[in-house]
Amino acid sequence: MRVVELAYVIALGAGLGLASAHYAVAERPVVGRAQIGAWTTWPKSGARDTDPYMRAYLARGVHLPLGAGEGLLLIAERDDAGQPLDGRCRYTVTGLTPPARGWSLAVADPARRPLQLAVARESFSDAELVRDERGGLKIIAAATPEAGNWLPLPPSGRFQFRLRLYDTPISSHAGELRPEALPRISRVDCR
Amino acid sequence: MSTLDDPRELHAAPATKPPRTSVAGWPGLLGRGLRRLVLLTLMGLVLAGIVHILAVLLIPVLAERDAASAYAALGDGGHAELVTPPAAGLPALAEPDPNSVSAVCGYDLGTGPVRVSAQTGALPLGLTLHRHGGGVAYAITDRAAIRGVLEFVVMTQEQLDERLAQDEEGETSRELRVVSPSPQGLIVARVMLRHTVDRGEAEALATSVACTSAD
Repeated sequence: MRVVELAYVIALGAGLGLASAHYAVAERPVVGRAQIGAWTTWPKSGARDTDPYMRAYLARGVHLPLGAGEGLLLIAERDDAGQPLDGRCRYTVTGLTPPARGWSLAVADPARRPLQLAVARESFSDAELVRDERGGLKIIAAATPEAGNWLPLPPSGRFQFRLRLYDTPISSHAGELRPEALPRISRVDCR
Repeated sequence: MSTLDDPRELHAAPATKPPRTSVAGWPGLLGRGLRRLVLLTLMGLVLAGIVHILAVLLIPVLAERDAASAYAALGDGGHAELVTPPAAGLPALAEPDPNSVSAVCGYDLGTGPVRVSAQTGALPLGLTLHRHGGGVAYAITDRAAIRGVLEFVVMTQEQLDERLAQDEEGETSRELRVVSPSPQGLIVARVMLRHTVDRGEAEALATSVACTSAD
């Protein structure tokens, strides 16, 4: 084999192999992902037998994921209609949460930048909510103040909802959850 | 005449043949070159697959910026130390829950097994074992506490075998033993905040987790 040909094979192999590996683990990997309605979760991310892609992702940053018996993290980047979550819009988060000892719903920046919020409240815990007479959950997420359980949003740009369920029996079979068992995210209007 | 003709023919042959072969050979050469390029590209793709798998498997092994490496020195005093927020000079935790506080103890089983014990409180407490290179090796919550105390011993597989061999009278058989897949790692105490005002109580609970030598 000529030198040029060998160089071509090595450059292609090393370049494509390293680039694809970097791309595959730069964010939470596609492998092991479970999509439940608008929510995405990685049920094995806190298990002892987690997949190599999730391990590589966790090894690349200062991550302390919830353990499989400790809790479960669910992330939403889109509303129930499939539209990306945008700070210029108002959203309601309603419905049910799976059985858990406690949960928190937080707003986060997809690129992990600090959020520019109107007031310093990034999350709600289940105990902090004001519920209606039927015990239902209703959170209003918007950049400007709202009546009721107001979760401030950044004034513009994409954001994520992060639902953390603590001490929940569903963490081992989270992939089998039905969308009705999780809060619905509905867009009210946009500026 | 025939002898004179022959050399002429021989002479003429090379002059007329090359154009004929070059016209007929270009597609052949091009086809051969293309086949060669396809073959080399396929070889490159196979190599890329191997490199991809090796890179993904090696990232945790060579990790130097993971949580276990970043917080390895915390907890030397025998108690877990807060990482929400971490002490000055240490990297911040990625994606922390604003509604929880975490305290960690770095461990190195090279000097023997480590005993972890925590008093439970009113707030939900979870203890997890994070191995070097990312990933949770073990998780337990305060629901498993006996008389308000959550306790387990972290050890390597060799230390477990040794402990079982030495334990003829069943003295230590009542302890909960957890085998760590890596000699170094982190013990993480995470307490959920129900209200913002709980922070002080949660931090006290998380930092009261003791990690001491088991021997």
